[in-house]
Amino acid sequence: MAKKMEMTKVENKSLSHKIGNGVLSVVLNVILWIFSLTCIFPLIWMFYSSLKEKREFNADIIGMPKNPNLQNYIDVMTNKDTNLVQAMINSVRTTVLAVALIVIFAFICGYILARINFKLNKPLYVVFLMGMLIPTHSLLVPTFVIFSQLNMDNKWFTLLFPYVTFGLPVSLFLVQGYIRGIPSALEEAAAIDGSSFTRTLFSIILPICRPILVTVAIIQVFGNWNEFTFALVLLKSNGGWATLPLAMRQFSGQFSTNYPQLMAAMLITMAPVVIFYFAFSKQIIKGMVAGAVKG
Amino acid sequence: MLNSIRPKNRVIFAYLLIPVALFAFTVFVPLLAALFYSFFEWKGGPFRNATPNGIANYKELLQDKVFWKAFGNNMYLVVACIIGQIGIAFVLVMVINSKLVKLKGVHRTFGFFPSTISAVALGFIWTIIYHQKYGLINWFLDKIGVIDGTRNGKVWLNDTAHIMLIVSIPLIWQYIGYYMVIILSAVSAIDTEILESAEIDGATAIQRARYIVLPLVKSTLLVCITLCVAGNMKAFDNIMIMTKGGPGNASMVMALYGYTTSFQYNRLGYGSCISVGIFVCSLAVIGGSQLLMNWLMTDKYDRIEKKLQKKTDKAMKKKMKELQKGGALNG
Repeated sequence: MAKKMEMTKVENKSLSHKIGNGVLSVVLNVILWIFSLTCIFPLIWMFYSSLKEKREFNADIIGMPKNPNLQNYIDVMTNKDTNLVQAMINSVRTTVLAVALIVIFAFICGYILARINFKLNKPLYVVFLMGMLIPTHSLLVPTFVIFSQLNMDNKWFTLLFPYVTFGLPVSLFLVQGYIRGIPSALEEAAAIDGSSFTRTLFSIILPICRPILVTVAIIQVFGNWNEFTFALVLLKSNGGWATLPLAMRQFSGQFSTNYPQLMAAMLITMAPVVIFYFAFSKQIIKGMVAGAVKG
Repeated sequence: MLNSIRPKNRVIFAYLLIPVALFAFTVFVPLLAALFYSFFEWKGGPFRNATPNGIANYKELLQDKVFWKAFGNNMYLVVACIIGQIGIAFVLVMVINSKLVKLKGVHRTFGFFPSTISAVALGFIWTIIYHQKYGLINWFLDKIGVIDGTRNGKVWLNDTAHIMLIVSIPLIWQYIGYYMVIILSAVSAIDTEILESAEIDGATAIQRARYIVLPLVKSTLLVCITLCVAGNMKAFDNIMIMTKGGPGNASMVMALYGYTTSFQYNRLGYGSCISVGIFVCSLAVIGGSQLLMNWLMTDKYDRIEKKLQKKTDKAMKKKMKELQKGGALNG
């Protein structure tokens, strides 16, 4: 009898344990889902609201569109005052060129700093490190003054200067750390076989460094595509070279009351990054974390 | 690396020339220029219009209430973001790391997403969310019956008393997922055996988080705090879009103040002086926080241990040298 009692007790305990676990797992999952949904909801809300007309949105901000249409997108793309298509081209050009230059320079400088002994190695390292520590926003005003005095503002290449410069230090340190981890036997073998420095650099080291260079490129794509401050200071928003964030600001001034249209414009500017992100989210998250922690 | 296969200085020089020149031109030239221009009274136009005025700009800066308010607001953002972002992120990591949670990858992807969006777009999104008539917040308050109709709702971005809290919420929200992923990568590197044996010993989830996970991810948390401090000292985009520093100067931050002074009031000399101020203040805060964290990192016992380590290191080196000398003589 007593034995039976004990048995049921044990069973009860495991049952209550199970229920407790069940409740806990529901609570934990719900907390996380609330968090995740707040992160993603603005995007969803913007998307379906952009398919509404202004009147419909103003009457009911949260409801689904009754007859969804793409009129807002057409209006945004054909707007004469703010040329969003041109801004998209500008953003793509600036981002691609800046990231390419950052990757090349970071690779070369990172390799030289990691492997070659010369007098200026240490000082150069310190200089680049300082570049990482200097608060870039204190350079806004003087950069504007210098660029306008030299007549270098408002050109297609203007933004490449700050973007490449401020992207370089972090990237360089990532590359340098990576190269330090590769044994130098390969380079020695190449040198013994008579390979020149340039050839060793580009046909032996470069392929090995591919993973870290991809990481660098990912980090820099997001940074440069979203950059706003230097674009604001160095470019005229209606000068023809404006990037997307700048054009967005110009556009919002005109259409500050037409929210569905503003949302359509925002979604167009965000689309490349959003698609890129959701397609490669795993690699992107990994790369960004590596960049943040090691950089 | 072998010195025999080292390239000629000429080659190294050629490779480094462009990046280093670019770097010097975009970082050090403006830095020196800011210092130079900060001693002038310059209301825009060509530089020949500028008149030197000694340290008048610096005197003004020291007494400039708006600048110091902006500095205070930057500090507010730093503290709010450290508590909000890293605190919430840590709690979420503990939740997501539980065995009971499904679809971890989805949460990671969704949570990280806001940090990849431009601050300009997010500024606009939150301007709409805070909007009196068409905003989500007033809509929600209306639905749960706190306010009667969205027209009677609060104009959130006009609330001078709470504006800093209101503008820091989007900032906090944007980066929670970012820090969550960073901390998560550190936590998942912890040996699960430690946690399991603690569980067997009867440690509750909160005890495990406090006494096992927290000390083990301390260094990662400090990296997060560093990122947080550096990031918030240059807050600009969100606030520029949402409030332009207003109402009045209630949500002014340093970078925005430098920008408005230089480009809206055309005071380039004083603007340069503010830039120097931003430079000094940011470096002081970042450097100070680093020192503080180093001090916190090494607690009492560690410090004693380090001292001992240094002593033994020195003794070892001495011995090694002696041995080497002896070896060289013998050889």
